[in-house]
Parts: sequence; C-alpha cells; structure tokens
Amino acid sequence: MTEPSTPSTPSTPSPDTQTSATPATQPATQTRVQNPLTLIMTLKSPEDFEQLNAQLRHFQGLPPEQNPLNQALTATGIVHFARFVFLENNTKLGVFTAYDGSLAAYVNAFVDKVGKVFDLLLSHMADAPPLPVEQHRQEFLAYIQSHDVPVVEPFYSAYPTLTVLDILSNSGN
Amino acid sequence: MAEVDLADIQGFILRGYTMPAVRHFFLRVGDAAAARRFLGGLVSGDEAASPQLTTAQVWTVKPDYCLNVALTFDGLKALGLPAATLSSFPAEFQAGSASRAESVGDTGSSAPAFWEPPFNSTDVHVILSLYAAGREVLEARTAVLKALFERGGGMTEAGRRDGYELPDGKVHFGYQDGISQPNIEGAPGRKVTDMQPVSPTGAFLLGYPSQFVEFTYPVPQPLEFGRNGSFVAFRVLQQDCAGFERFLTENAPKVGMSPEKLAAKLCGRWRNGVPIELSPDTDSPQPPIPREEYNDFDYVVSPVNPNGFDDRKGYRCPIGSHLRRNNPRGEMVAGGDDGRKHRIIRRGIAYGPPFDPDHPDDGVERGLLGLFIGVSLLDQFEFLMSQWVNEGIFTPGIGGTKDPILGANDPATSKFTIPDPAGAKTITGFSRFVITRGSAYGFLPSATALRFLASAPPTP
Repeated sequence: MTEPSTPSTPSTPSPDTQTSATPATQPATQTRVQNPLTLIMTLKSPEDFEQLNAQLRHFQGLPPEQNPLNQALTATGIVHFARFVFLENNTKLGVFTAYDGSLAAYVNAFVDKVGKVFDLLLSHMADAPPLPVEQHRQEFLAYIQSHDVPVVEPFYSAYPTLTVLDILSNSGN
Repeated sequence: MAEVDLADIQGFILRGYTMPAVRHFFLRVGDAAAARRFLGGLVSGDEAASPQLTTAQVWTVKPDYCLNVALTFDGLKALGLPAATLSSFPAEFQAGSASRAESVGDTGSSAPAFWEPPFNSTDVHVILSLYAAGREVLEARTAVLKALFERGGGMTEAGRRDGYELPDGKVHFGYQDGISQPNIEGAPGRKVTDMQPVSPTGAFLLGYPSQFVEFTYPVPQPLEFGRNGSFVAFRVLQQDCAGFERFLTENAPKVGMSPEKLAAKLCGRWRNGVPIELSPDTDSPQPPIPREEYNDFDYVVSPVNPNGFDDRKGYRCPIGSHLRRNNPRGEMVAGGDDGRKHRIIRRGIAYGPPFDPDHPDDGVERGLLGLFIGVSLLDQFEFLMSQWVNEGIFTPGIGGTKDPILGANDPATSKFTIPDPAGAKTITGFSRFVITRGSAYGFLPSATALRFLASAPPTP
C-alpha cells in the first residue's frame, strides 16, 4: 500500500498577491479510507411506511443529543454522514452513508451502537433478516451487503485519507 | 454472573501456568476410534492410566506438568465428527489459518508457502501441549504420552516444537512478556487492577454472554461438545533478533534517544516491563513502581483514571506502539468503546537459544511459540492482526503505519512515528521483525467434550 501524501489546500486570493483561487488537486496515490453505503430496503406495507415515517420524524425532531439516531451514529466513530430517504412513492427506505474502513470488521461495533435503530427499521421491511440484529450479527451483515447497491466506482471524497476520528481530532474535538 | 465449572474448562484459557518448559506435539489422526479413546483417557480421572488434562481448577499443590489439547478443523474431520457438527463451527475456523493468511498479515516471507512442516500440510489434526517443571519431567511425560497416543494407530507425530523460558522471564527481543492479560469474569485467582473492565466469561468461553451487546457466540453442536470450549490461534513466530538490535542501534541516535528508550517507544514498555506511560524517561523510576501495578494505567484521563497523564497525543507512549495498538484501553478508536471488546489471552514461550549480540548472525532460528486464545478467532485474533496491527486508520495519528514489532512491515512503506512536543520524529525503511513460520487454528474442547468424543463412534 502506497504512503498517502498530504492533500494540498486551495489558496485564497489576497489583495496583495492577486492570486486567483485554485481548486485542490488530489495526488493519484492516495488510498481512500471511506466507503459508501447505499442501502435500499423495501417496506412491508403502506401502514409500515406510516408507522416508520412517524417514528423517524419524531427522532429527527428531537435535539441532537436526545436523538437516538444521532447518538448511535456518533458513538460508532466511523460514520461521516447518514441520511434516511423514502423512495419510490414511499415503498422503499434508502439509508445513504459514508463510513470508514471495513463494514465486516466493524459490524459488531455498529450493531452494538446502532443495532436498536436497525431493529426498528427492519421490523417494517419486507425481507428483513432475523431480529433482533444483536443476536443475529452475521445474518445482519449479509443483509446489509446484499442490499447495498453498488456504486459506479470510484466513490468520490474530497479528503479520502481522513477518518471521522482524524477530522474530529484535527478540529480540536 | 454465570456459574463457571472450572473443572470442565482447559486451564490455560483462564490462567497461566508459569512452567519453564513446553513441548507442543502436532499429531495426525490415524485410527479415529483409537484417537478418541486417547482423548477420552485425558479426562478419565485415572492418572495411572494416562496423564490428565489440566483444567482451570485451582491447585492446592502445583503439579509438575500440565497438559492441554486443541483440535483443528482437519482434526475434527479426521476424528469423524458428523457433518452437522462440522458445519456448526465458525467459518474462519473451518477455513483454517492458511486461507486467512492475507488478512492477518501472513504475507511475503510469512506466507503459508514458506511455513515449516507440519504447518505446510493438512496433517496438523491435534495439538497436544505438554508443560513441564523441567526437562526431566518433559522427557518422562513425553514417553508416556507417545506410547498412549500411538496405541492402536490412534495418532502419529507429524512434528513437535519445544519452548523454554529464557533467563529473567524475558522473550527474544529482550522484553518481559505476559504482563497484561484480561481479567475474566468467573476465572480463578485475584483480579489485577488495570483500569480496564473485567471481560465477560463469554468473551473467552463458548456458551456465555459475550463482550457484545445481547450476543452469545453460537455454540458448536451438539451442546456437550461445544460448550465451555474456546478457540486458539497457534503461532510459530520467528524473531529477527539481529535485525531488531541493528534497528535500535542505528535509529536511536537519529531520533535523539538511547537504544533502550527507543525499544520502550516501540513496545510501550521498557524491556524490563515498566510501562512507558507511567515512567516516560527511565526504566528505573524512583520510587519504583510495584510489579503488580505494571498494568495499572491508561492513555487518557477518565473516571477510572482521574489523575493520569492525558496522553492522547502519544508523547509518553506512541499511539503506534505495539502495546497501545493491540490494546488501546480508554483511547477513542473506530467503533467507539470497541477498544475494550477485542481483548485476547496470550500464552507464549520462547523457542531457540538466547540471542548473543556477539554472534548476531548465527543462523539459528529463534522466536516465540504463541497461543492466542479467545471465543472468536474472527473478532479477536484476526481483528487485532488485520485492523490494529496491520492497519492504521482505527485511531488518529498512525495512518499508513503498522505495528513496528509485529506488523507486516515493508521497507518501502514502513513508518514509525514518535510524537514529541518539540516535533514528531519518524523512522522509516525497516523490515518486519517477526516472521510467521507456522500457524494453526484450534478448538479447545472442554472435559465434557472430550468425554463425549470418546463415548461416540466416529461417523464413517
């Protein structure tokens, strides 16, 4: 594995030097640590949509420190972003994230922190794996992997070598 | 708290023996029924008929030998376990260590293609581990065991490896080893104070709740065969002592410290065992740190470490050091409190004669015979090797680096960073110092399991 080099930063124009802003360039040799998750799950019924929609909106309406979705994702330390999107006339739920490293290696940590959230989501899904996911971890991993829609590679990242922990550490958290 | 039947559990899962000699026999099953009889004899209770398996029961008098046994997946097949039992074992155990080599860093010179006999074959069915108080006992018990396991064509010896404690309890590379072990719920003996949570029984034994939320690892079937068992990664790890000492003498002046301090920075302990986190400048702090406190530290300030030094930057113990990588303790790592969920039991002993710095390139193989024990090879041994030893993204500051002592380091890419308030120092261009010469994944059956084996005929 080649040694990742420090990404260059864009220069900002200043009145004295009159340089123009240039976009950052990505050295070709960087190894990307982040991976995409494009999870598409099919709801069991319109009633399941109504229930799940209400539950998710309730959580998302809470202050972040009381929102169990937020708290769970933060606790993993590996999820950069996550969004929940109802698709195709509310018949499907998409969960789109970017996360660090290997999903398989971190499935246990993920289940420990976010398992209860997935127990809720999957209880409304048509082809859910055995629940609760805490007790059926390898089946949960298999479900995620089979419902993760492949991207047209490469997945773009503006900072491919930075993990969540790197970014938080760099910003003094 | 789950009741743990110490008499049913192989001793070295829950406690060390501190015996100075060990002989690991690698046995090939011939006649499955005869092999099963031998294994059953280990738990018959009749010492006159056969040396007995050492369990986790507390000793009133320390015995002069200890005996334990591991079964590989090839061994389970050769012993004629039925298909339903075989398929109930975890996938990585079924696959075997050779096919998992890439993910754990057994690449290059450590690849299975270069493993020594019998690890380069499918003949390792049973690993019989004989610990002894001395060489006389070792030879006497060997003779008895050999006659027994060969009886009726049960098993033949495909190989053996001997280990002997080096002077001062050190291992090659000159470090004290075996200081840090997890405290385990239900294990005998006093708990050591180490600022770390006690591991649940099910992190080390099948059939109990594990270290993960509401999760018990699936128990291999039938229950009487799998319960109270565990798993071991048996490793023959050659150590390049000459290369390691050369690395220290060449690089110490470049990073402005003594070779002993560099050795401490690489490991996380001074070679005499004192943790660098508690004594950053000397291996002989005054007042001295009591030996029983050598594991009583953390890298971050927390409720269990309120008065500790805040070493998040790694100024005392480098974040990429061997100790800190393999057990991040309270440090923030990918997965959250995942740092506490990949503990492992290490039982190791040196093999080969002591390294003589005056004859560094004597061409003699020396290293460590290591047993790495846990309820899950995937989540413990393999996780440590693939995510923390040979990968550096799990915590900030060590991206692109591997464990300097244990990692699959390639001179073209290797890097070790020593954080320092005056500016970090980096060392590059070093090779791997530990080379895998053999590896086998074993199941550690309970006493009940061995009786079960002996009581049932092999499946044809």
